[in-house]
Amino acid sequence: MRIACPFCGERENGEFTYLGDASPKRPNFAVDGGESPERVEDAFHDYVYLRDNLAGVMREYWYHGGGCRSWLVAERNTVTHEFVSVTAAPGAGAALAAQAGE
Amino acid sequence: MADFSWNTQSALEKALVPGRHGVAGTQAGVTLEEVRDISLVQVMARRGRAAETAKAAKKLFGIEPPRAPGAAVARNATLIWSGPDQFIVFSARQADGQFAKVSKAFAGIASLSDQSDGRCLIRIGGPRARQALAKFCSLDLDDKAFPLGAAATTSIDHTAMNIWRGADGTDGHAVFNMLVFTSFADSLWHTILDSSLEYGVQASSAHAA
Repeated sequence: MRIACPFCGERENGEFTYLGDASPKRPNFAVDGGESPERVEDAFHDYVYLRDNLAGVMREYWYHGGGCRSWLVAERNTVTHEFVSVTAAPGAGAALAAQAGE
Repeated sequence: MADFSWNTQSALEKALVPGRHGVAGTQAGVTLEEVRDISLVQVMARRGRAAETAKAAKKLFGIEPPRAPGAAVARNATLIWSGPDQFIVFSARQADGQFAKVSKAFAGIASLSDQSDGRCLIRIGGPRARQALAKFCSLDLDDKAFPLGAAATTSIDHTAMNIWRGADGTDGHAVFNMLVFTSFADSLWHTILDSSLEYGVQASSAHAA
């Protein structure tokens, strides 16, 4: 399996590390914002533990640790292992962060 | 209390044995050379300051740092791409502090780190260099995929490596520069040497020019 790093080009998958689903967003509660502790706890429980087990294309975080050391967002088909797209994750390469769309 | 003093020495002090190794023949298939007395400065543009960093580099070196994997040769230094918005300044070590000079030029717009003693530079050349490299490096190093001035950050033996292609050797064959961590250099030297033995190896060390 080869992964096309947006910075380095196509590389063997051994250079990359898989993190997981890129869709969960960290809950953003204001400190002492009056939110009930149960709701905050529920939101963090879902963020930390709940993941969809998709059969098909999903967005995932990958890390190119064996190359340019950038965090990437990849669209990968979990059935065929086909990579649909690989883009820079926010913050990976300051100049390209905006293009990742987040 | 015993007196103790630190002496600088190459990371390959023990591993590198100059001379011929492996298959004997009229011509060595692979030449391995450690380049000593190097100066390396890692330059990483701060968030949103990539354009200013490139401008400062142009002012200091006369050339812009590569925006994509590649190595740009200036008069006194080579700028090697090492990741998005970052590059390595490679030059021969001089008596006066180059780091101070470079860090002054990038003050406030980029973060710098002196890697002169953190990395070991190994040059591989000769007619069979690519065959030897193919055993431990997964990159396509063919002329078409990796021409003069090409560079990459990759892994060999699970260890980070910056590789770039410099000027061809006097024998007309491609020369690849490999920057590896000094702490892994001894181990990697053996990997590289073992991969090259069947082609005949000429090993040596040289001073950066």
